[in-house]
Amino acid sequence: MPGPAISVIALEKYFPPALTGWRALLQPISRATEKALAGVSFTVKENEAVALIGANGAGKSTLLRILATLIIPTRGQATVGGFDVEHESAAARRLFGYHTGGDEGFYGRLSARENLGFFAAMNNLSRSDARTQIASIAGTLGIQNDLSRQVRTFSTGMMHRLGLARALLHRPAILLLDEPTRSLDPIAASEFRRLLKDDLVRGRGTTLLFASHTLSEVEEIADRVVLLEGGRVIACESPRELCASTRTATLEAAVSTLLAHLAPVRRQP
Amino acid sequence: MNLAPVLRKVAAFFWRDFAIARGYRGAFLLETLEALFGVATFYYLSRFVQSPELNSELPAGTNYFAFALVGFAFFDYLSVSMSAFDSSLEEARQNRTLEALLVTQTPLPVILAGSAVYPFVALAIRTCVYLAWGALLFGFRPHSANWLGAAVILAASILAFAGLGVLSASYSILFKRGNPAKWVVLGVSGLVGGMMYPISVLPAPLQMLARLIPVTYSLEGMRAALLAGAGWRELFPSIFALLVFAAVLIPLSFGVFGWALRRTKITGTLTHI
Repeated sequence: MPGPAISVIALEKYFPPALTGWRALLQPISRATEKALAGVSFTVKENEAVALIGANGAGKSTLLRILATLIIPTRGQATVGGFDVEHESAAARRLFGYHTGGDEGFYGRLSARENLGFFAAMNNLSRSDARTQIASIAGTLGIQNDLSRQVRTFSTGMMHRLGLARALLHRPAILLLDEPTRSLDPIAASEFRRLLKDDLVRGRGTTLLFASHTLSEVEEIADRVVLLEGGRVIACESPRELCASTRTATLEAAVSTLLAHLAPVRRQP
Repeated sequence: MNLAPVLRKVAAFFWRDFAIARGYRGAFLLETLEALFGVATFYYLSRFVQSPELNSELPAGTNYFAFALVGFAFFDYLSVSMSAFDSSLEEARQNRTLEALLVTQTPLPVILAGSAVYPFVALAIRTCVYLAWGALLFGFRPHSANWLGAAVILAASILAFAGLGVLSASYSILFKRGNPAKWVVLGVSGLVGGMMYPISVLPAPLQMLARLIPVTYSLEGMRAALLAGAGWRELFPSIFALLVFAAVLIPLSFGVFGWALRRTKITGTLTHI
């Protein structure tokens, strides 16, 4: 993979306003005026863990969904593994795994093994390769004894592990995670963070780009932090550099300081 | 284009849906009984339907019960085509698997096609159950049927109907709920397509309209093959008409679907419920 694992250049995304009633029929062709991203640029190096942080509506999920080829950007360019996510989306999808923390996207009546087998087939894995991969990933994630259970009987924590297992099935070099520990209890979240950092990033050399609201989690996992506010990049540094540049002791304090400096600017007409 | 991976994925969709359906075994039994009630209703209704005009339109040696049974059983292929594609999208949105599917290495047209396989296989079984009930209990006798001809008519019908189904899915992907296109196609086809009566009993303008929809040719061909044992020469006009519909509708529908998909990726509403 020559060049950065992920590259985002002057990325802009505008959505059409939500229309109701009969006007909703015009939604597919209405003009996009609602700003979500306004010229975002950054790169993620191979084997690097980068966190996207910012308030609700800052643009984190939109950015991840563009990289996951689920949304087309309005302007600018984003590449994953060197492939343009808009024009070479099929090639890009071979390289990344995508998982969201609120993920329930499984077939409840099927067992975990049947679910993973189905998604393995969707990712072009042969049956024997899928069997090997499912056993290996289930072992890593600690769900090997639950593969025969119907997914509808899984706890939230188990579902998260299953979601991550699905994202890892095709051995992606890059992981895109949207609030991966949302709705996990503190112990499960801690275990999940260890798994991400130690097993995936350090152990397998996976590149990780994840969005999170939990700054302690970000400090624990991320090599660098991209702070988004109103669809713009406010800072893109390591947690330590961010603390140093704001003369604060914690990432939380550093982010508060940076956002507080922005507040007067935001109030200007 | 290498077809083998596509077929493997389509098979995976079939086994997924089969495994889910296996969890609801009672439903299969109930559907079998429901088919019996449907067939019985047609049988008793047909005993009261007598008309010289109708009798002159029926294939020789057959009766209204056989005519209506074939019409009812095979009209379902249009109904399933119109709902299988958009229902699969709707269901994937509801159970939140659509996003997970869309980030895999499977393009949406393959997801749509794969999701429609099980409903069609289930429908084929249901059709057999209908015909079997008719034969076992109510004197339906397709002795001279041209089964191969019927299979070709069915395949051509599914291709033609699939085009309409993908157009219906395009509406669904853009507007999520309520699908006037589906109801217009099913309503018009039910009225003028010849499901319950020959189209010759319709006024001239409706007969012209009937010639513009594929289900008319599908039911004509199917009745000719099953009830009159028609040969290839007699079946050719129906097969040809259905293939023309398929040749026009399939590229058109995939073009429209591609546009709809791109628009929803631009508006960010692809996975909205």
